[in-house]
Amino acid sequence: MKQAHTSSLPLSTFVMLAWRNLWRHRRRTLITLFSIAIGFGLTVLSIGLQDAGHHSMVKNAINMGDGHITLQQRDYLASPANYRYISHGKQLMSVLSKQSIDGKVVPRITLQVLASTANNSVGVRLQGISPATDPLHKLLKKNMTKGHWIEKSDMRGLIIGEGMARKLKVKIGSKIIIIAGKKGGDSESHLGRVRGIFKSGISELDSYLIISGLEFSRKFLVAEGAVAELKPLTRIAIFLNNEEDIAPLKATIKIINPEPDVAVLDWQEMMPQLVQYIVIDDISAYVMQIFILLVILFGIINTVLMSILERTREFGLLRALGLKRRYLILLVFIETLLLSLMAVVFGWLIGGLIHWYVAVNGIDFTGMIPEGTTFAGTFMDPVIYSELSVHRVVQLTSIIFIATLASGIYPAIKASRIQPVEALRT
Amino acid sequence: MSVLTIEHISKSYQQGEIEVQALTDVNLKFEKSEFAALVGPSGSGKTTLLNLIGGLDTPTSGDILLNSTNLSELNEQALSEFRLFQIGFIFQAYNLVPVLSALENVELVMVLQNIPTHERRERAEHYLEMVGLKELMDRRPGALSGGQQQRVAVARALAAKPKLVLADEPTANLDSENASALLDIMHNLAKEEQTTFIFSTHDVRVMERAERIITLQDGVVQSDVSE
Repeated sequence: MKQAHTSSLPLSTFVMLAWRNLWRHRRRTLITLFSIAIGFGLTVLSIGLQDAGHHSMVKNAINMGDGHITLQQRDYLASPANYRYISHGKQLMSVLSKQSIDGKVVPRITLQVLASTANNSVGVRLQGISPATDPLHKLLKKNMTKGHWIEKSDMRGLIIGEGMARKLKVKIGSKIIIIAGKKGGDSESHLGRVRGIFKSGISELDSYLIISGLEFSRKFLVAEGAVAELKPLTRIAIFLNNEEDIAPLKATIKIINPEPDVAVLDWQEMMPQLVQYIVIDDISAYVMQIFILLVILFGIINTVLMSILERTREFGLLRALGLKRRYLILLVFIETLLLSLMAVVFGWLIGGLIHWYVAVNGIDFTGMIPEGTTFAGTFMDPVIYSELSVHRVVQLTSIIFIATLASGIYPAIKASRIQPVEALRT
Repeated sequence: MSVLTIEHISKSYQQGEIEVQALTDVNLKFEKSEFAALVGPSGSGKTTLLNLIGGLDTPTSGDILLNSTNLSELNEQALSEFRLFQIGFIFQAYNLVPVLSALENVELVMVLQNIPTHERRERAEHYLEMVGLKELMDRRPGALSGGQQQRVAVARALAAKPKLVLADEPTANLDSENASALLDIMHNLAKEEQTTFIFSTHDVRVMERAERIITLQDGVVQSDVSE
């Protein structure tokens, strides 16, 4: 038989009941919320620091390396060699200068060479740059310990790190012979003079890099057959002010690029090992966070389940009075939903506070990371300021919200299975 | 025509390996506004019979018809609806929702019935006044005495305008003064509202107020006496 009426409970009644039920055991609810918030706060901090660390590494890798977008000879990445250069550097720079790029377009000549003095010979990377405009100028000039930065007109000037100076046993004004192997098997050598010595604390820079003006480095390309008037380069590095410009600019350059042999690469393509390092680091952090989350979740399940079991009789009463099974599930679900919402608010209060403190004051890792330590060819700033992107905020909020909500599923099912006759007997 | 007809009801259940026969071939009819008591010692089947009438449990065999609705034909959802609209329950241990005030407890079933706010508020206040608790309607159960809580349960049962009120040992936890007051209220309401009351008891005071006494012994109706 069908009844003349059907029942549906107004949502406001459910919310009111659920809210009051939550505060039935004020201390227990607060402890649960607090434990979620603490766990969440730690997760926010660890993700904030990790993201900031990665960001710092990427930023430094881009600044130290070849920018957000790099143009270089198509085969160079797979098989680096000094003869793989961009022959029409001038033309390409001119094409790029017509684009409205929010950032810097920097010509570079990077070569693998041998640096030789009377005392020693070492394999090094020779970086030919525009001395006044290249970002390396800004990065290293402040770290000069001896001598001065090279002038634009200086055709022989070299800047080296302290590690390199030690290896070659040179000082300001010393001669260094730079020798580069040529494709044909011969070699090309030019004399340079040390103008300045820097100490960055990064072994990759201090011990393996020699900086010269573009014209000095270009002599080696000319020796490979390049035409000096065409201003050959090994790469053009583009440093952008806004990371979001990478993809559209890369696509545009690919279209306007007049040189079919020149590849347009973004920093991820240029530094796949760094991307891989970040991915692996992210995965290991996620695994750790999943464990933290599981511990929190079981805590919530325990709390909600306990509150369900101690209300078995009450649920039996509600069922006896005519509350349908699905409404009982809804009631428990709303209780968990409210708990989730409060967990998000509490979590962000504590997590946000921790994040804000570390974002403003930073954490100094100097003592934990030995000087000169590099990861995947780059380094992390010694003081890390927690960073949280909007994407992370949404992601973390969703995770805590969904996880807390999911923890209510089992208790809700358990509650719905309560038989009124048996429950009322308890 | 009878409000409630019980035809050849039997109920057995398993207790470990033993099959317990709780009720055997019970046949009863109840008229409108009857005030009937089920009496008998513990384990005689009183509560089992009330649970079956209230659609909280299902019989092993037989039929229960309330206003021509055969309970055995209803699925779980329909049984919930049936309890909601047709039955008022009063249990032995007060069974109020502790986080709701007396007024909200009385309103609860009417909320489930979708009765508009204004009407249910009026009805809830009316019945709380009838049980003498209007002044205390904002108190939660924890702030009410046992007798007061049971009176709230009576108001809740009647405010929903059921055809039948089932009360399982309603006075068991009350002192004689409160028990007597509660019985007065229940009896008056049964007459005023034309509602059938069936209650289980082994309280002599309750039996004295009942117009009909049905005695159960080992799940069998021993006697059925009306005034």
